[in-house]
Amino acid sequence: MLWFRPLALAAAVLTLAVVVLGAWVRLNDAGLGCPDWPGCYGQVTVPQTAAELEAAQAAFPDRPPEPGKAWLEMTHRYAAGILGLLILAIAVIAWRRRDDPEQRVFLPVFLVALVIFQALLGMWTVTLLLKPILVVLHLLGGMTTLALLWWLYLSTDPKRPPRALAAPPLGMAAVAGLIMLGLQIALGGWTSANYAALACPDFPTCQAEWWPEMDFADGFVLWRGTGIDYEGGVLDNDARVAVHMTHRVGAIVTALVLFAIGGTAVWRARTRGARAAGAWLIVLVCLQWAIAVSMLARGLPVMLATAHNAIAAILVLTLVYLIYKSWRMQPTPGR
Amino acid sequence: MANAADTRTLSDPSLGALLASLYALCKPRVVALIVFTAVVGMLLATPDLPPLGALLFGTLGIAFAAASAAALNHVLDARVDAQMQRTRHRPLPAGRISGTQAVVFAFALGLASMLMLGVLVNPLTALLTFCSLIGYAVVYTLYLKRATPQNIVIGGAAGAAPPVLGWTAVTGSIDAHALLLFLIIFAWTPPHFWALAIARRDEYAKVGIPMLPVTHGDAFTRLHILLYTILLVLVTLLPYLTRMSGLIYLAAALLLGAGFLYYAVRLKASERPELPMRTFAFSIKYLTALFAFLLIDHYLPFYL
Repeated sequence: MLWFRPLALAAAVLTLAVVVLGAWVRLNDAGLGCPDWPGCYGQVTVPQTAAELEAAQAAFPDRPPEPGKAWLEMTHRYAAGILGLLILAIAVIAWRRRDDPEQRVFLPVFLVALVIFQALLGMWTVTLLLKPILVVLHLLGGMTTLALLWWLYLSTDPKRPPRALAAPPLGMAAVAGLIMLGLQIALGGWTSANYAALACPDFPTCQAEWWPEMDFADGFVLWRGTGIDYEGGVLDNDARVAVHMTHRVGAIVTALVLFAIGGTAVWRARTRGARAAGAWLIVLVCLQWAIAVSMLARGLPVMLATAHNAIAAILVLTLVYLIYKSWRMQPTPGR
Repeated sequence: MANAADTRTLSDPSLGALLASLYALCKPRVVALIVFTAVVGMLLATPDLPPLGALLFGTLGIAFAAASAAALNHVLDARVDAQMQRTRHRPLPAGRISGTQAVVFAFALGLASMLMLGVLVNPLTALLTFCSLIGYAVVYTLYLKRATPQNIVIGGAAGAAPPVLGWTAVTGSIDAHALLLFLIIFAWTPPHFWALAIARRDEYAKVGIPMLPVTHGDAFTRLHILLYTILLVLVTLLPYLTRMSGLIYLAAALLLGAGFLYYAVRLKASERPELPMRTFAFSIKYLTALFAFLLIDHYLPFYL
């Protein structure tokens, strides 16, 4: 099927945009820009006219409509909706060609299920008032969609028919690195969802201490019940500091792991693509750290915070690429 | 890594010879230029004199990091260096020092640099310095250099970092004017290095490093030197146009730029064999003088 790969690539690119757009919405405090779902104040589009705004005001007296924020939220929803249709199209193509042994069927169908789950998480994020665990799961779901679509695109390259799966050390290390990165992204999402990014405004110390007073037990309560408005955060200082410091420690560990993987790939990988991915990994980790430190120095500007999310997504893509390049191109396991 | 040097018996085990080899590992002349641009970055960062601690430990820290990167470069390139006329006398391929000694030395320098910058200067400077070090030693030396003829263009980013590092050591943040200094060195690196690469083309070809003259030929490289020099001269006007520097700098930038353009045009027009090395030598004087004038202008400002 001529269209399959271009569609997969288009979907991957669109997913990157939707993920970063989602971060942009959240960081602009526009996650509740439309307090209902799937419409916005009961309408398909953002309320604009005086009459519409009045109706919106009457329907949600606690949340007076702010058209700017509503537009942000709806743009994310429209883009995600288009992405959902694109993934559905990919799955339909795959399903109709399921008799062809070369055709990937499971992954496209799984992606449809994943994107439906993502839509539900998006809805709950809104209806359960930015509950942190849902914000984090929604972020992880987006990153997973991105990784899988990228993998679907890479692994259907007709010039490189799939070989028997072997597990070379570098490929295994890259998988471990991806898991580590996923954990660190979850911790980053948790930091954002609990409004803990400015709990430690200084660096490398936190509130002028190397190891401040922290409340890990309270900081990592995953479920606090529904009906609470989490906008602005509900944790006290010590719990937020615990969340923030965990993300920092995670950043050190992740950086070391990814540096080791990137360095090994640059040094030892057999394929050009894997070496390039290793070099990118090192550069991106450095960039990510520089952005993080600058975010703190400048009081969390939205542009930098969004860039932090975007680099995280690009790191995911780079690691998936490295896994693909180091896994498939090895003729035999080991060396 | 440097197995050739490891297995060879060291020719002269005396302490003096060891120190001389370690000194050579640091590429003192390259480090001197790097440190100079970093110090200019520090001094330009504030209207007054920067704090003495940042000046002293920032300079030392950046110098140690640059020396560490140079030593790592020696280690990682030992095999290639042994095959090239220009580099076969370096301490590792000549067997004057072992690979292990060089690695330990490089790591000690890097650690000292990180501690000095991280604790006594500021963590952002330590972080950016670490990234530049890794960028040069791993991304450039191990990957870019052998991967693409754009190697030194992209890798130039690591070499262009020092003035930013110096600036950050004083202010604690990355500022737009610091990035201008970065841009100048970034635009300067291709014509500077390609002039050398033309002179050393056969050696690069022999060891399979895809320098631009090897992959795209002599004439193409000379054209690119000219084009990048034009770009460089335009970029060097930016400090004046953004009112970071005044008329003294502008005059110097124009005169020096005219000099570089003269070399670049001659290089394009003539095949004379001594021209590439002379262009290379001029490019070093050019950058040194340009940064010296940034400094002079900073303390003696004349504006229109």
